Amino acid sequence: MTDLLRRLMRTPQGAIGLILLAVLAAVCLFGPWLAPHDPEKMDFLGRFRPLGAQNWFGADQFGRDVLSRLLVGARSTLPMALAATLLGTVAGAVVGTASAYLGGRWDEAIMRTIDAVMAVPGLLLALLLVSTLGNGAGNAMIAIAVTFAPGMARVTRAVALTVRGQDYVKSATVRGESASWIIFREMLPNVMAPVVIEATIRVSFAVMLFATLSFLGLGAQPPASEWGLMVAEARQYVHQAPWILIAPSLAIAMTAIAFNLLGDGLRDAMNPRDER
Amino acid sequence: MTAVLSLRDYTLDYLTGSRPLRVLQDISLDIAPGEVLGLVGESGSGKSTLAWAIMRHLPKNARELSGTIRLGGTDLRSLPPRELTRIRGRRIGMVFQDPSTALNPTLTVGRQVTETLVNNRGLTRRAAWDLALELLGHVELRDPEALMRRYPHQISGGEKQRILIATAFGCRPELIVFDEPTTALDVITGARILDLFARLRAETGVAALYISHDLALVSRVADRVAVMKKGRLVEEAPAASIFARPAHEETRKLVAAVPRPENRLVHDRPGDRVLLAAEAVSVRYARPRLFRPPPPPATHAVGFDIKAGEILGIVGESGSGKSSIARALTGLADFSGGIRFDGRPIGSARDMDGAYRRAVQIVFQHPDGSLNPRQTVGEILSRPLKLFGTGQANLSAEIGRLLEQVRLPAAYATRWPHQLSGGEKQRVAIARAFAAKPSLVICDEITAPLDVSVQASIIELLLSLRAETGAAYLFITHDINLIRQIAHRIAVMRRGELVDLLPIDAVDADHVHPYTRDLMAASPTPVG
Repeated sequence: MTDLLRRLMRTPQGAIGLILLAVLAAVCLFGPWLAPHDPEKMDFLGRFRPLGAQNWFGADQFGRDVLSRLLVGARSTLPMALAATLLGTVAGAVVGTASAYLGGRWDEAIMRTIDAVMAVPGLLLALLLVSTLGNGAGNAMIAIAVTFAPGMARVTRAVALTVRGQDYVKSATVRGESASWIIFREMLPNVMAPVVIEATIRVSFAVMLFATLSFLGLGAQPPASEWGLMVAEARQYVHQAPWILIAPSLAIAMTAIAFNLLGDGLRDAMNPRDER
Repeated sequence: MTAVLSLRDYTLDYLTGSRPLRVLQDISLDIAPGEVLGLVGESGSGKSTLAWAIMRHLPKNARELSGTIRLGGTDLRSLPPRELTRIRGRRIGMVFQDPSTALNPTLTVGRQVTETLVNNRGLTRRAAWDLALELLGHVELRDPEALMRRYPHQISGGEKQRILIATAFGCRPELIVFDEPTTALDVITGARILDLFARLRAETGVAALYISHDLALVSRVADRVAVMKKGRLVEEAPAASIFARPAHEETRKLVAAVPRPENRLVHDRPGDRVLLAAEAVSVRYARPRLFRPPPPPATHAVGFDIKAGEILGIVGESGSGKSSIARALTGLADFSGGIRFDGRPIGSARDMDGAYRRAVQIVFQHPDGSLNPRQTVGEILSRPLKLFGTGQANLSAEIGRLLEQVRLPAAYATRWPHQLSGGEKQRVAIARAFAAKPSLVICDEITAPLDVSVQASIIELLLSLRAETGAAYLFITHDINLIRQIAHRIAVMRRGELVDLLPIDAVDADHVHPYTRDLMAASPTPVG
């Protein structure tokens, strides 16, 4: 693990991604203490106050401090996106590996079902799920996980198919190992590298999808300071006070970029042949 | 007469993690016009690196410390990349080991051949196409016109290698580098490629560097032979004399490791009890489809028996169904027909219970693929022990004993597969097979990817394990000389059918199948 981190820090993408993520993690952990103001305290004299000493990133339509809202809002944005990705990845990886292992009719049945699910656009599927399950951050998370799982299953299956052809899997089959041992102990560890990379890239999608759901009013509910919701609320004041819109948008973009860079870095770091 | 290629005191390092690794040390060699220099040595001795250094295609972490590489009058080391692309193909050609990866799978053969000719000979497309037809016809490819319109996956490995050789010669270079051009091919195809090589060389008078680890083969094609060891050239002598009178210890070691059919390593006779009998086993891979006729079976009603403690060799060219037999016997492939094991009938993979799976073990060809890269050697060996008896308590002691049995230090239990060499990995795979205390071990081309010297030590290990445990071997190989050293009987397969099943002393007899005779004739006579 420490070795992986060391290798990760050696590539510029990995290093930048890791530093950005460290900043984001610190914000998630200590956001409320770092925030200079109460994120929900209104100040009618300070409505649309531009960037300055009093409010570093300006103030919104109720005079709330944008920086404080961003710092506190990180908590309701990032962990949700991470949890959704993790859930989707684990489910997808297990289904994909199992499908590749079982092969034949089972593989066919599982993959065609997944194709059918994937035919529905991701956002539409998430919308459908949330409207069935009901509004709220938790349900949005589940919806995103379900949206991600088929894609992850496809990626995992593609890798697992080559792993299944390897002699160590045949060797396990020949000595009569159970299906669960072969799937979880022989195959899954060997498909994890590309899956982890795919997952880090998907975290940024999750952030954006989650922001989109909140923007549409199906994820986090006002007055929460979830970033997507902040963008949605700021939209109508974009001509008066663009900073209310720009600040959370930049935060979302930065998160997406950080995870993408980390994904790129991981791809290089997890390649054992790359002896740098 | 000036040399076509001349290297002087060439030294090269690879920069790895902690410190530079010396790969080539003070290499000096000359190749005269029209001469073929053979280059032999164990894997890791720097043969291929030398080829890539001549082609000026080195990895980024290579550092050239000193020396010159001259092609005719040109100093290759001082040329800029743009000039080098004009040299490659046009003045130095190269033929690779694996023909299946040397052609682009998305372009037709004709397109690739003509493109090379257009680039390197300055021909028009029309003229290049005509020349390509002529070249392919010249290397005894049937119907070149149709072949040119095909894609690489539609033609055989031997045909691909012929195309690559034809293209390399067709560019009329001064020098061609051959990097083990027949290793990936079976005996008969390889022998035909060698004949072709000799003929083309006589016609064109091109100089060549011929890299191989097969001594017999090198002594057949080369005028002079150079022996490499750990990045140094240790001996250089005419091909006619080098293996007969080896001067250096490394050459002697290589010659001693070459299998010789007259030098039998197994002297006992197997028992009379039939251990396993295959009765009309047919393996068919693809499922029957609705609108498509089923493909022909990989093996067609093959029947043979193995006696307890016997070594049965299966030989044949690639695609003859040798490995399909191994897959059927281990339940990896569906088969029709029946297997009788110790008198017990086994009709399908479902009938293979724990006792059968314990008794019949398999060792695969590629040691890299047969060990899970995410498990330590100890974990790999512990699975069969857990599945097939021996209590948990003495597991680590048992692993130590297994490693010792295959002549590896017990400390290897904590190592990962990528920390082992190819031969060591193969030893671990053998230990895993013997962990189950089997009565039959199927060896599927297990020595093919290994050097002659490593191969000899693996064979020695297998024979001593057989002496200890009394296990029978089903030994699948295409190395005829090797199998004649150890097998009690030899089964010859061709296109999925068993054409001959002979006791070892009858393979030279008159009544053998004509194909068996071809196969025996194609295998190179051992050197020395």
